[in-house]
Order: sequence, then structure tokens, then C-alpha cells
Amino acid sequence: MILDLHTHSIKSDDGRAKVSNYCQWIRTKTLPIDGFVLTEHRQFDAESDYSDLAAEYGITILKGSEVETEYGHVLVFNVTPPLVREFDFARIDLPLATVIQAAEAHGAVAVPCHPGRKRVGMCAHIENLGVPDGVRIVEIYNGGSRGDEDEQARAMAERQGYLGIGGSDSHIVSHVGRCATRFETPIHSEAELAQALRTGAFTAVTYRT
Amino acid sequence: MDVDIAAAREKFLNREFDTKAFEVTAQNIVEYARACGELAPKYTDPKHPDFQAPPTFASSFIAGRHLPQDYPRFGGLGMDAGKGIAPKAPLRPGSVTGKSHIHDIYTKTGRSGRMVFTVIRMELFDQDGTKVADADTRVVSREKPTQ
Amino acid sequence: MSISKISEVEFGAELPVFKPDTGMDNVRRFATAAGWNGPRFTDHEAARKEGLPGALVPGIMSQGFLAAMIHRWAPEAAIENVDTVFRAPVLVDESYHINGVVTDVDEDTGLVEIDLTVANDAGETRVFGTASVRLPS
Repeated sequence: MILDLHTHSIKSDDGRAKVSNYCQWIRTKTLPIDGFVLTEHRQFDAESDYSDLAAEYGITILKGSEVETEYGHVLVFNVTPPLVREFDFARIDLPLATVIQAAEAHGAVAVPCHPGRKRVGMCAHIENLGVPDGVRIVEIYNGGSRGDEDEQARAMAERQGYLGIGGSDSHIVSHVGRCATRFETPIHSEAELAQALRTGAFTAVTYRT
Repeated sequence: MDVDIAAAREKFLNREFDTKAFEVTAQNIVEYARACGELAPKYTDPKHPDFQAPPTFASSFIAGRHLPQDYPRFGGLGMDAGKGIAPKAPLRPGSVTGKSHIHDIYTKTGRSGRMVFTVIRMELFDQDGTKVADADTRVVSREKPTQ
Repeated sequence: MSISKISEVEFGAELPVFKPDTGMDNVRRFATAAGWNGPRFTDHEAARKEGLPGALVPGIMSQGFLAAMIHRWAPEAAIENVDTVFRAPVLVDESYHINGVVTDVDEDTGLVEIDLTVANDAGETRVFGTASVRLPS
């Protein structure tokens, strides 16, 4: 089962993709992914229901979030109502420790994304802030990476013993599925995704050429 | 900084704060079109019966982050977060008037550390008063957390 | 083959790749025509003094490239909207290519949505955008 774990739709301020067009794109282009996770910036989009689209296209559509911490941006998977009450997703200065602890307390998983990117990635902040506690997984393939950002991410993951996921970080339709994560078990829900991430039975994949 | 977005919206939204006149020449249009790679004679040949500027031409009237003088800084000058252009009618050589207003102000924020988005819209009218385009610039300012 | 009506457009179709002229001479010509004569666009040295990696291709020129690319693909297309997000600088005298793909076709309204990306030779997206285009039925 292959999921793109990092996508944005028009629900994000800089997103330009409609979810229905992501589905249409994945099927028309016969992309090798089975689904994607919508990780809208600084929010959890509790309202949107994509179950009809998921059924129509036979695609797994899950929801997460991309929040902002002193260590850069962090994907959060399996966001539940109790977790939403733990911290303000809209803030741009969340303590990473708070995000990780709250995620763990509520069955979610926090994953720093594009760690090799300046300002918004974790690598640059480690020099000043030290290695944060509690990180187990980072995004090592990001579809929007430039230069050696992914190489830096992989080198850091290796140094620190982190597992790696992949996501396209798509903001427009045609960028979905550029990077993804292969799981060994089927995933039908956010809870199953979090469980699979905790077991470590996954591999980051990239389709960028 | 804790500027009241509602007050800023009340004060600035949809109020014209600047009017500028521009003169568009056939040569400007041809040079612009060729530089962009347009091939169609209606953009590159002033003798063409439907000669007009390429649809994005009106964006060039917006110079920099043009805001009302007393507009709040929201933590800084802000970065260009993107541009949009919506052509409405052919723009041909002649006088063009650009009227600017703040089209939207919104935040993507919580209790502190807001990101403030300002959408500046310049409406462009030709010498007959026909609207030729809406040209938007989005500026984002990141406030430092207050605590 | 160029497109002349909406029934010829398929979801997912790729527009012919467009390689814009981002050479200094052409950027200067554009800057003069558009009234954007700032040295950061027309002089590498001056741009570096401002802390930039080199002279910048103006964002509005990238918009113009996107429109030209659409016109080359569909000369009859009436562009209703071009929306661009600038991710990283586009530098003068460096090589770029623009990809465009159709991401929505609505034959009822005659509107086609297109994703557009300006990328360098390393495949890094510098500017992305979307365009909404009206085509005859």
C-alpha cells in the first residue's frame, strides 16, 4: 500500500488543488499510489468529508495536518478532536515537544517534514537548539525539495537513527504522488496509518526523475 | 504586535487609496509580447485588426508592495506571496487608469504569531472606462510571537 | 498540434514544454517594455549587492511566459485568470522550462484549468501557478 503522506488542497492558503482533481489525476495518470493524506497548513480540516470521492475513485483519502514549531514544520497524522484541543494548530511558534507529547498522548504521530529546508526544516535548527527529544520519523523524500535538501534530510535521519517517510508536498494537482511511503499493511483510516507508522514497517519512495 | 485585523478591514477594505494613469504604447506591447514568447500577430503586430496586449500585461502596472501610507506594518514589510491577473477586456494602446484598493486582509493564525495576508487589487480601466483587468498582489507578513 | 476547441482537450493532457528566453538581453527588453527597470532585474552585479544570487527574472515576466505558453498550445484560448506562487528566485541567464498540464475540463462552462510550473534544469520548481482558460465549444 503506497500513500502520499504530504499534500495540500485549496483548504491551505497556498494550495491550488481540488481534492477531486487529485483523484482524477491519480487515476488518469495511473500513478502507483493508493491514496494520499491531506496535511493542510496550520489547521485540521475536520469538516471536509471525502468519503464519496474515495469510494468513487477507489482511493484512500486521509486527513492530517502540517503545523509549525521552533524546529520547523511538522506533519501530524491521526488528528483527533481531543488532540485538536491540546494546542492551537494555527500558531507558528508551537514547541515541538508539546506537539510530540500531545500526539503521543492521543495516538497520533508527529513527523518533521522537509528537514533539509532552510528556516522551515529541522536540520538547520538542530545547530542552535540541539537534537529534540521524541522524534522517531522524519520526511526524507519531499516532492518540493530543492538542491540537496533531501540528501541533508537522509544524512540527518541516518545520524540520529530516524525512520523516513516520503510525501509530495503537492500544492497543485500535477504534483501529487511525486514522493510517497510504502506500507506493508493495508491502511484504511488515520488510526491505521498512525499504527503503521509506529510499527516502523514502511519505506519512503520517490518517483521524481 | 497585536493589530486588530477587524479594525484594519473596517478602515481599509475596498477603499480606493491610489489612482494612477499609465500610457500604453504599441511598442510597449510588442516588446512585452516578444520578450514573453508570444507568437500571435494580435500581440506582436500593431497592424493586426485585433492588436492588443497579452493578458498578463496589466500586472506590470503594479510596482512593488504598494500599500496605503498608514497601513499597519503587521510585523514587517512582508513578502510577495503571489500574483494573480484576471483579464476582463482587451487592453489596447492608449491611456489606462489603475485604481488600487485593499481587497482582502486575513490571517492564518491563532493566539499569537500571526501571518497576515493582504491582497492588493489594482483595477484597470481603459480610456473609455471599460474594465480591462483585475491585478492582484498577495503580501504576507509574519508577526513575531507576542510572548 | 494546437488546440482550437474544448472538445479537443483531455484531462491530464500535457502542453508542449516551453523554454522561455531568460537571457539578460531579453529580460532587459521586457523590463523596459513593462516599466520594471530596477537594477535587481537588469544587472547581476547590482542584484548581488542587494544580497540576491543574481539578477532576477521579474515575477510578472514569469506570468507572461505562462500566458505565451498557453497561447502556443491553444491560440484561441481566452485566459480568464493566471495565479502564480513564487517559491524561489528565477535567475537571469539560467535555463528554465515550463510544464503545463490540464487538471480540469468543464465542457459545460468551456473552462479548462491548467497547472503550470517553472522549473530549472535540476527539476526544482521555482514558480508554480494555475490558469483558468476559456475555449470555444
